[in-house]
Amino acid sequence: MATESETLQHSGRFRLSALKGKLFEAILVVATLVGLVALVMLFGFMFVDAVSPGSASAEWYLLFFATLVGPVSAFTLYSRRHPAVRSANARASAAVFGGLALSLAAFVVLRAMSPYGPLTYVVTVGSLPLSVAVYGRYAEETYFIGPAMVLATLLAVVWTLGSEVLLTPLLDGIFELGVQLLGGVPVLGSVPVPVDRGLTVTAIAVGVPTLVAANSLLRRQRSLDRLLVVTAVLALSAAGTTGLDGLLRPYLETLSAWVAYGGVVGTPVVGTLALVVTRRRNVRSGLVAAGAAVAGSLLVAVVALTVSVNPRLLVVLALGVGVPTVYVVGRTVLTDRDGRVGVAGPFIIIGGILLGAYIDQSLSVTGPDTWVTPTLLVESWDGLFPTEAGAYPSTVGSIMIVGLMALMAFPIGTGAAIYLEEYAPDSGWQGKLAGVIELNIANLAGVPSVVYGLLGLALFQNFLDYAPGLVFSASVTLGFLILPIVIVSAQEALKSVPDSLREASYGMGASRWQTVRSVVLPEAVPGI
Amino acid sequence: MSQEDETELSLLKRSEFVRRKERLYRRLLAGCALLTIAVTVGIIMALSGQALTFFDSVSPVDFLTGQDWSPLSNEPAYGVLPLVSGTLVVVVGSAVVALPIGLGAAIYLSEYANPRVRAVVKPMLEILAGIPTVVYGYFALVYLTPILRDGFSLPVLPAFVTDPLPVVSEFTLVIPGLVPEINTFNALSASLVVGVMIIPMVSSISEDALSAVPDSLREAAYGLGSTKFDVSTKVVVPAATSGIVSSYVLALSRAIGETMIVVMAAGESPKLPTVPNIFENFTESIETMTVAMVNIAQAESLGETVAYESMFAIGLTLFALTLTMNYIAERISQRYREEY
Repeated sequence: MATESETLQHSGRFRLSALKGKLFEAILVVATLVGLVALVMLFGFMFVDAVSPGSASAEWYLLFFATLVGPVSAFTLYSRRHPAVRSANARASAAVFGGLALSLAAFVVLRAMSPYGPLTYVVTVGSLPLSVAVYGRYAEETYFIGPAMVLATLLAVVWTLGSEVLLTPLLDGIFELGVQLLGGVPVLGSVPVPVDRGLTVTAIAVGVPTLVAANSLLRRQRSLDRLLVVTAVLALSAAGTTGLDGLLRPYLETLSAWVAYGGVVGTPVVGTLALVVTRRRNVRSGLVAAGAAVAGSLLVAVVALTVSVNPRLLVVLALGVGVPTVYVVGRTVLTDRDGRVGVAGPFIIIGGILLGAYIDQSLSVTGPDTWVTPTLLVESWDGLFPTEAGAYPSTVGSIMIVGLMALMAFPIGTGAAIYLEEYAPDSGWQGKLAGVIELNIANLAGVPSVVYGLLGLALFQNFLDYAPGLVFSASVTLGFLILPIVIVSAQEALKSVPDSLREASYGMGASRWQTVRSVVLPEAVPGI
Repeated sequence: MSQEDETELSLLKRSEFVRRKERLYRRLLAGCALLTIAVTVGIIMALSGQALTFFDSVSPVDFLTGQDWSPLSNEPAYGVLPLVSGTLVVVVGSAVVALPIGLGAAIYLSEYANPRVRAVVKPMLEILAGIPTVVYGYFALVYLTPILRDGFSLPVLPAFVTDPLPVVSEFTLVIPGLVPEINTFNALSASLVVGVMIIPMVSSISEDALSAVPDSLREAAYGLGSTKFDVSTKVVVPAATSGIVSSYVLALSRAIGETMIVVMAAGESPKLPTVPNIFENFTESIETMTVAMVNIAQAESLGETVAYESMFAIGLTLFALTLTMNYIAERISQRYREEY
């Protein structure tokens, strides 16, 4: 009897605890769902108000599903079963849609600020490292090309962004700080600084690169070469500091607009293509591929000119979308036997949209009464007629700020992450310093964005005396804001590269930088 | 012989150059890392420089204990307490939402959910952290506040289904207004939305901490006859306390610094909290420190007035507050980190 009631009691307790467990799990599920429901509500409400899907006719939905949703989901289902197809699809989509987004962004920015300024920058910033590389090939001492090219690029950026933008305000700031500090000492404060600022800027911008070149070439054998190179660096830096870009610009402006657009967009695209093909095959194939890309876009321009269409956008699209798409699709079709079907993915989406739009036009089906119209992207703000209003200028502003920010913050953030992960030792003062830097990054990640705004205000408006409302100040300030995020993500990506790869690289005699550049970075780039 | 010497010499030179190159790159990268320290120093210098001039005209004691904030009126008053209390209201409100929900989601994802569910749900939750805060602010102002006041009704079926069948149009989802007396700008919808925004911070970091608890602990507990509930609440969560607490502190420090949501949804009327009727603090419009800064920045874009400098004083307060909290989170997660 006693055992029976005990068993009963036990089973009751079991049931109670099972109930407790179930209840707990239900609470957890609800907690998880709250976040998801909030997400669905957020997007749902805005979607319903922006698109008003209820106003579309049943035919429109039929058309929408038949041309877009059906084919795309069928293709997705198919590619989920075949990993090779899926990865080919991902590559092709990245080439098509990434290229489309980047070239449209480049186009609107160039349109907003005239392409000749950027073209000047491309010419000056691009030609300097290129000439270093050519000289390195000529001198047959390729090992110094890397650092020399990095230095040359930095130098060219300083010239073209203008020593007057970067160096002069900084020097002014330092002078002012010095005067303020010395102002406390009565005698020193009254002594005028005996240096002309413009002269100092020129001396620094010309002297530093010349000295660096002279120093690094000092112990080399061919004295004539040495003399020539140092003279060339001296002449170039003098020209750059006194406004090489200003001298070049009138000549560049004689080119037609589409050449300028093509030059700005095409230089990085064709250069990357040539480098990638060279690395995969050989130099000749690289040159052939680059030539084919240039010829193709020229062909597009010529065709557009003969039918008297403005070729600006077409050239940009040919270089920014056409070249990467042809390269990725062609390579996949030729080499990837299992996955070649996958390259159809992006074209199914684009074709579906175009086909749907065409049928929609020709049958005049009642679509949704949406606010998301092309007007939204191509018009400027209109307070009187909301249906005519668009966000074109603000979109261009966002693209410019974010693009410049990315150009500055990504290299610096990745560099900091590489130092912390690959170089910084665990012990000694450097290890301690690295620890402080890591703690500091964690703290910076938690600093509110308004505080960064104050930093930008104080730095650019009060300290450097820039005019208010510059893209440059906004980009740098935003760059500070995202720097900790970039560093932490890049660190995670670098951490996920297995040590065995590094050790194998060291074992083959590679130096630390060679390991980072050729082994660790290529592995980590997707994560970064 | 001389040929050999020459190759050796050039090899030596080459290795000398490689060493220099290595040093150059190392310094370049170290410079990138040191830039983050420069940013911190820059923030401190920028804030304290202007804040010190502010404290010349307003004493720090008045600033920290004053109960009236009206920098732009004819008789300006610079008491930061109403702003601090406004921030506190938002932080408390968002904490009530985010801390339990975030922890619940973290426990579910780490202990209960099967890997496929987790692979879908975790990234979806993290989308919440990636939405621009302006969008959240818009959501709170345009959708959430009216819903809280008037409730909402949602037709379950689209128009082209209900139009031919009049009977079906009765099927609408109706939720009554929960807080009818709520102000257009109010702390409640702002803090609810801030809470939703920081859920993924709590859930991701806590989930990492919970997943890091070794399976041997769980297995030992199961071996002693524990249920899953016991294992989760009495073994895994206590073992991951440090990670959970630091996720809490980080999320709250994010809520303190949140700007755009409160600017759009919480209004701009600085006031001290009403004590007996706590709920009234949420239905009324408030002003947080961040909103006060935005207000001054909009009103005084260039002038070097006391109001302009007061912006930097609030910034310094905010910076000190978040820095302290992040430091505490760091210390907690280091001090109580269990080494397995």
